[in-house]
Amino acid sequence: MLNAIKDVVRKSSIHVCIVNCGGCNGCDVECVALLSPRYDLEQYGIYVHNNPREADVLLLTGAVTEQWTDNLKRVYDKAPEPKIVVSIGNCPISGDVFNQEGGHVHAPASNFIPVDAEVPGCPPRPSEILEAILAVGPQAIADRGREKK
Amino acid sequence: MSSLIWYIYDFARKAWTDAFTNAKTSPEIADKPERFRNFPKVNKEYCIGCGACTISCPSPNAIKIVREKDNEDGEGLTYPVITHGACIRCGFCAEVCPTEPKTLECGENHLIHPEFNIIPSKRQYIIDDYLCIKCKKCMKKCPVDAISIVNDKLHVDQLKCISCGECIDVCPVNGAMKGVFVENLQDQKDIILLTVDYLESYINSKEEDLRSLEKDRLLQYEIPLSEILTKAIKLIPDEEIASEIITNAVNRLKIRIIDWNKSECKKCQLCIPDCPTKCISFDEKEDTIVRDVNKCLRCSICYQTCPFSVIKYFIAKFSLEDDNLINITVKASNLNEEILME
Repeated sequence: MLNAIKDVVRKSSIHVCIVNCGGCNGCDVECVALLSPRYDLEQYGIYVHNNPREADVLLLTGAVTEQWTDNLKRVYDKAPEPKIVVSIGNCPISGDVFNQEGGHVHAPASNFIPVDAEVPGCPPRPSEILEAILAVGPQAIADRGREKK
Repeated sequence: MSSLIWYIYDFARKAWTDAFTNAKTSPEIADKPERFRNFPKVNKEYCIGCGACTISCPSPNAIKIVREKDNEDGEGLTYPVITHGACIRCGFCAEVCPTEPKTLECGENHLIHPEFNIIPSKRQYIIDDYLCIKCKKCMKKCPVDAISIVNDKLHVDQLKCISCGECIDVCPVNGAMKGVFVENLQDQKDIILLTVDYLESYINSKEEDLRSLEKDRLLQYEIPLSEILTKAIKLIPDEEIASEIITNAVNRLKIRIIDWNKSECKKCQLCIPDCPTKCISFDEKEDTIVRDVNKCLRCSICYQTCPFSVIKYFIAKFSLEDDNLINITVKASNLNEEILME
């Protein structure tokens, strides 16, 4: 009974924190577009907090620069369980255009923290990000919550 | 109090409860817009494996060209594979892809062919820098300021040019300003070839005149343009283009004519090994020497070799004036004499 109530609450109210670990800001702009009345993220019960301590979902953007190699794990640890990580754009997946020969990016981000969903695109469309969060987020959070029990 | 009633009324409406229970972004916002560049679509079978897509790609890991294993049916296909995690959907690969139809498709921009001119025009105006004397008359005359000086050379900006043709009229040097036809180049070449072939066969048909031509004398003919023009219009159905190509070709044409008097040939076959393209051969059944006209370079080596002066060599020049008559002047070559003089 308690689990069922927790599932409903976790699925219908998702708190999001955007973590930019060294990208061009393109994906962050697309995330901000999601907040606008045009896409209206909050009608789905998703809130952008930008505070890892309150987040259920970490939206990861950027190609993991030198400075972020240690900090990424610290930010991830600060988020309370259950939590999931959705990587936005190509940078956390492959390093994209920054992953040139002789470059100093440490992609993929999955080398440092577990990534649950990936949204490819440079940048992905806001509707694609929204789709990914809604498709993966609620169920993954609910499952992750049960795991801990 | 009234505002509270308004809130209650608003929340009680069906539209609000629907939106609250079933939140959804309207599909016209979520849908991809027209001409959106999505991840490139790969049509494996058209790929020629040139690698242009990998070179144009700004992302290091996005495109890899792979080759399938050979099997009984034949060689394995070579084709590009797009990694979605690295592709930035710029569509450069589709734009550079040289195959027709395209191996890579992305958006619609690559399907639109670039045009040379903002106004649909048959001609493209270009300046021949070698002939241009930089008097800048065309610059002053141009109504849209399309002509400018770039790197000390006069240059026509094709995006501004309206193809009015005033620069050609004002240019004092013949040929410095050119209005060239940019379309169907192959048909233009075919017309020039047709003209040359027609004129050569016409001169070769005057065998008797050629053989009785004395040294330092000229043969002169006049033939009407109309016959070539009717053939040319079948290739390019535009009289203006066809007649201008023929006029340009005829006026600077110089044909070398080889005449071969077969009845006097002694069949010594000396000319056969000397021919650089092996176009001369001996036909044993017919007992004659045969020259393949399509292979022949008109290089005159056979004429210089022939010990009996059976092969004759002429030089023909042409001019075409406004009266639509092609003037032909044929002169015997004095090549052998020059060699003897030395």
